Amino acid sequence: MRPSIFLRHLRRRALPAALIALLPLVCGGWLDWLHGPQSTFEPEGPVARSQLDLFMVTVYVTGVIFVLVAGTLAYVTLKFKARNEADEHAEPPPQSHGNPLVEISLIGLSVLALVIISVPTLKGIWYSYDVPAEEKAGAYEVNATGYQWWFKFEYPAEKNSANLSLFTANEMVIPAGKAVHINLRSNDVMHSFWVPKLAGKVDMIPNRGNHLWLKADAPGYFWGQCAEFCGEDHAVMRFRVIALNEKDFADWLANQKQPARTVEAAPAAARAQFASYTFNNPGRNAPGYSEQFDANPLAAWQQQQQVPVAGTENTELISQGRALFKAKTCIICHTIRGHEGVGTAAPDLTHVGARSTIAGGLLENNPQNLHRWITDLNNVKPGNKMYMGFATGMVGYMKKDAQGNLTEHNITVSDTEAHAIVAYLSSLK
Amino acid sequence: MEATVKTDFIGQEAGAEPKRAWIFTRPTAKTGLVSWLTTVDHKRIGMLYGCSALIFFLVGGLEALMIRIQLAVPNNTFLTHQKYNEMFTMHATTMIFLAIMPLSAAFFNYIMPLQIGARDVAFPRLNGFAYWLFLSGAIILNIGWFVRSGEPDIGWFGYAPLTTSQFSNQFPGDMSTDLWVMGLQILGVSSVVGSLNFIVTIINLRAPGLTMMRLPVFTWMTLVTAFLIVLSFPAITIALVELMMDRNFGTNFFEVSNGGLPILWLHLFWVFGHPEVYILILPAMGIISEVIPTFARKPLFGYPIIVFSGACIGFLGFGVWSHHMFTTGMGTVATAAFSLMTMAIAVPTGVKIFNWIGTLWGGHLQMRTPMMFALGFVWMFMFGGFSGVMHAAAPADAQQHGSYFVVAHFHYVLIGGSLFALLAGIHYWFPLIFGRRVSEFWGKLSFWLIFVGFNVTFFPMHFLGLNGMPRRTAVYDGDMGWNGLNMVCTIGAFILGIGIAVYFAVMIYTYFRGEKSGRDPWDGRTLEWSIPNPPPEHNFDVIPTVHELDAFWYEKHHPEETAREQAASIRAEASHGGIHMPSQSWFPILTAGGLLIGALFFVNHIIPGAIAGLALVFIGACLWAFEGPGGYHVHPASAQPGPGHGNH
Repeated sequence: MRPSIFLRHLRRRALPAALIALLPLVCGGWLDWLHGPQSTFEPEGPVARSQLDLFMVTVYVTGVIFVLVAGTLAYVTLKFKARNEADEHAEPPPQSHGNPLVEISLIGLSVLALVIISVPTLKGIWYSYDVPAEEKAGAYEVNATGYQWWFKFEYPAEKNSANLSLFTANEMVIPAGKAVHINLRSNDVMHSFWVPKLAGKVDMIPNRGNHLWLKADAPGYFWGQCAEFCGEDHAVMRFRVIALNEKDFADWLANQKQPARTVEAAPAAARAQFASYTFNNPGRNAPGYSEQFDANPLAAWQQQQQVPVAGTENTELISQGRALFKAKTCIICHTIRGHEGVGTAAPDLTHVGARSTIAGGLLENNPQNLHRWITDLNNVKPGNKMYMGFATGMVGYMKKDAQGNLTEHNITVSDTEAHAIVAYLSSLK
Repeated sequence: MEATVKTDFIGQEAGAEPKRAWIFTRPTAKTGLVSWLTTVDHKRIGMLYGCSALIFFLVGGLEALMIRIQLAVPNNTFLTHQKYNEMFTMHATTMIFLAIMPLSAAFFNYIMPLQIGARDVAFPRLNGFAYWLFLSGAIILNIGWFVRSGEPDIGWFGYAPLTTSQFSNQFPGDMSTDLWVMGLQILGVSSVVGSLNFIVTIINLRAPGLTMMRLPVFTWMTLVTAFLIVLSFPAITIALVELMMDRNFGTNFFEVSNGGLPILWLHLFWVFGHPEVYILILPAMGIISEVIPTFARKPLFGYPIIVFSGACIGFLGFGVWSHHMFTTGMGTVATAAFSLMTMAIAVPTGVKIFNWIGTLWGGHLQMRTPMMFALGFVWMFMFGGFSGVMHAAAPADAQQHGSYFVVAHFHYVLIGGSLFALLAGIHYWFPLIFGRRVSEFWGKLSFWLIFVGFNVTFFPMHFLGLNGMPRRTAVYDGDMGWNGLNMVCTIGAFILGIGIAVYFAVMIYTYFRGEKSGRDPWDGRTLEWSIPNPPPEHNFDVIPTVHELDAFWYEKHHPEETAREQAASIRAEASHGGIHMPSQSWFPILTAGGLLIGALFFVNHIIPGAIAGLALVFIGACLWAFEGPGGYHVHPASAQPGPGHGNH
C-alpha cells in the first residue's frame, strides 16, 4: 500500500473509529473528573445548587451556539479548502465584501442568546447575595475572619464560659437545614471564603465588611479553602465546615462553651494501657490525610468529639505538656480558655482536641501530625507565623537578626517535650 | 521655491548646515552595534522588540514548565511555596508585559507603517526611546533572579495590602516588590510613549487616498490598541505611584492599619487590567483579519463591521473591569450592571468570528502554515469566548473565580487567541522581513504540536476548576480528585514546549538557510507586500496612491493606472529634494538609561543615586530637544523621474 493511500484510509476509517471508541471513555472520565470533596458539580446546599443551575444554562446556550458556529466553520473549511494544484492556481474567487443582512441577523441572534442567559443571571445575583426574606428570621449568624494562613470563626449569639462570644478556628460548625449568614472580615491581607459544595466564594477584604449566606441540605462534612492569593502559604490555607442536625449542634455548642478540659489524675494501675506512638517525620509537604478519614469524614469528626474514658489518659504527661505549653511561650498567641493561654494572634485551642484537622485544615488531627506540626512546622507550612514571628515584633520559633536572617532559635521543642505537648493538646476535647 | 527652502534646512548637498557641537553630531553608522543602539528605523526597532519579546517568551515558558512540574503530582517538593509564588508571578508578568505586548509592538512597529505607505513613524526617536524604556523595565523586573530579595511573589495583580512592606518584605531592604513596582511603571511609560507615536502616525502619515475606512484591519486594531494603552495605563500608574509612596514614604493609600482601602487598588488595577486584556487580543484579531483574507483569496467579509466591532470592544472594554471583582461583594446592582455589560461585549467579539467564517465562505482556502494558525485561533478563541460568557454570569462566576476554570479560560484567550495569532503573524510576515520562507512541513508540524499540546494542557483545567481546584496554589492534596488531570496538564505542557521549540528552531534555521522567497509570496492584498524583501531603509521607492480597501490587490489589478500615478508621485517627491529620512540619535537610549539607573538606585533606597538617574533623564531629554530634527535624503535609482520607471 502506498503511504498516501494508507494515510487516506487511516483518515477515512481508523480515525473516526478510534474517536468513537474513545468517546465513552472520555465521557465516563468527565463524571469522574467532576467528583471530589470540592466539586462544584456535587452541590449540597441551595446556593451552590443555584449557581450550578445557572452554570448549566450557560453551558447549554453556548453549547448550541458552538454546534452551529463550529459546524459552519468545519463545513466551510472542508468545502472551500484547496485540494490540489489546480485549486491552488485557480483564479481568485469573486471579491465580495459582505452581506449586511446576514451580519445584522447574526448580531440579533447573539443578543437573543445573551438575554436567555442574563435573566437567570439577574435572578441568581439577587438570590445568592443575602438570605431570602422568608428565612431571615431563623438564619444563624457566624463571623469569619481570615488570617495569614488560617480562619477564625466567631459565634456572636453564643456566650462562652468567660462571657465572651464563642470562638473557634479552622472548623466552622453550623446547623444543617438552616440558612447561615456569615460576616466576612480579614485581619491582614485579602482572603476569600470558599466552600464549593455549599456556596461560591466571597472575598475577605481588610477594612471592608462582606458577607455571604449558605445552607447545608443535610448534616455533612465539607472542604473549604482560601481562594484569593494571600502570600506564601496560600496553598495550604484550608478549613472545614461541619453541618450538624439540631441536637448535635446544640451539644457541640454546649461543649465548646465549656472552659478547657482538665484531666483528673488516673489510678496508677491504668497507666499500662496508655497508647503511645513513635514519631516518624514524613518530610516537607508530605500529605496529612488518610483514607480511613476520607471514607466517612463526618464520622471521623464525631469520633474526634469523644472524650476518652476516665483513667485511660496519662495525666502526668498531660500536666507536663500543659507546663511546657506555658514555658515555651505558646500561651502568648494561643487562647486555652480556663488554662493559661490568653493570646489572640493565633487560633483558639480551647477545644483543639475535638477538631478533625490542625495547621489550618492541612493535617488530620492525630498525635503523629500534631507532633510533626509542633516540631517541624516550617516544613509543614513554610513561612508560617508560629515559625517566623510577626512583623509587629512578636517572635516565633526563630529570631531574626538585623539583616532578617533566621539565625537563632527562640523556641525549640525536643522529641520528649513534643510527646507531652501532644498529649496535652489531644486532651483538650 | 518651497523645495529650495527644505533642501537648505536639511543641509544636503547645498552644504548649508552650520557647524555643530560634537555632542550634537548625529551617528551615521548603518551596520554594527552603534547602528542598532542609535537606530530610529521603525523596522529595526520592530526587530529589537520582536527579538527581546521572543527571549522573554522563552523565559516565561520555562517558568510555566517549572509550575507544571511542581503541580504534576500532589504535595510535590520540586519548588518551595515561595519559589512557586515567584514563578507564577513572573510567568504572568513576563508573558503579559514582556512577551505578548512587545511582540504586538514589534508588529505595530514593523508592519503598520508599511501598511499605510509611510517611510517611518511620526516620531522616530521617540520610537527608539519606547524600546529602550521597555528593555529597562524588563531588566528591572528580572533582576530579582540574581539578588537575595528574589523575584516579586505578590502575583501579577499585586493585590493590596499584600504588597505593603509589612506583608511582602521578608527582611529589611527586601526589594522584590519594589522591583515589580518600578519595572511596571517604566514599562507603562514605554507603552504610552509608543502608543502616542502610533496614533499620530496612523492619523497623519497615511498614503494619499488611504482614508480611515480603507485602512487594513491590522492598522485599525493598532490604532484602537494604542488608544486603549494611552487611556488605561494611567490607572495602573496611579495605583503604582500610590503603592510606591506607601512603601517608601509612609503614605496610607493601602495601609490598612491607618485606614487605607485595599479595594481601591482592585478598582484601579482592573480599570487598567481589563482593557489590558483587549490590548493583548485586539492586535491578534488584526493579524487574523489580514491572514484569513490573504489565504482565502477574497476580501474580509463585512470590513466595516469588523472595524466597528473592534472599536466597540475598545469602548466596552473600559466598562467591564469589575467582572474581575464579582466576589468582592460589590452589591447586587453593581454586580448586575457589570454582568450585563460583560455579556454585551460578547456580541462584538462574536461578530468577528462570524465575519471570519464569512470570509472563508466561498474562498479558495490555501492551507499554508499562517492559515493553520489563524484557523486554530478561531477555534480556540471561540472556546475562550464561551467560557468568558460563563464568567459573565456572576453567580456562576462565584464558583469559577480564582479556580483553574479561569486559568483555562484566559489561556484559551491568550495562547489560543493572542499567541496563535502572533505565531501566525511571524510565519506570515517572515518572507517580507527576512526574504526567506519557512518550510511548510516543519511549520505545520510545529502547528500541530502546539495545537495538541495546548489543548492537552488547558482543556482539562476547565474540569479541575469545576472540581474546586483553586489557582496560585503550590501544593494540593492527593485526595481531592485532581491528580490524574494535573498529570495530563503537565504532559500537555511539555508537548506544547516541544512544539514551541520546534517552531523557533525552524525560524532560526530559515533565517540562515531557508528558501529565498520572491516578492509578494502569498499574493498579498495590503501595501506591505508591494515592496521588495527585505524592505529597503526607506520602505517605499514611491509613495503609493490608494483607491480601495486591499490597496495592493487593487494595484496588481490596475497596472496602468498605478504606473501613471507612481510617475507623478516620483516627480512630486524629486521636486522636494528626494526621499527624506530621519537621522539616528544617541539620546533615546541615553534618556531611557537614566531612568534605568535611577530606578535601580531607588529600589535600593539610595536616593542621591535615584536623583542622579532622574538628572540624566532630564539632561538626555534637553539634549534630545536641542539636537534638532536632523534628517537626510536618499535617492534610490527606481525613484528617479523619467521614462521607464514604473511599478516594480
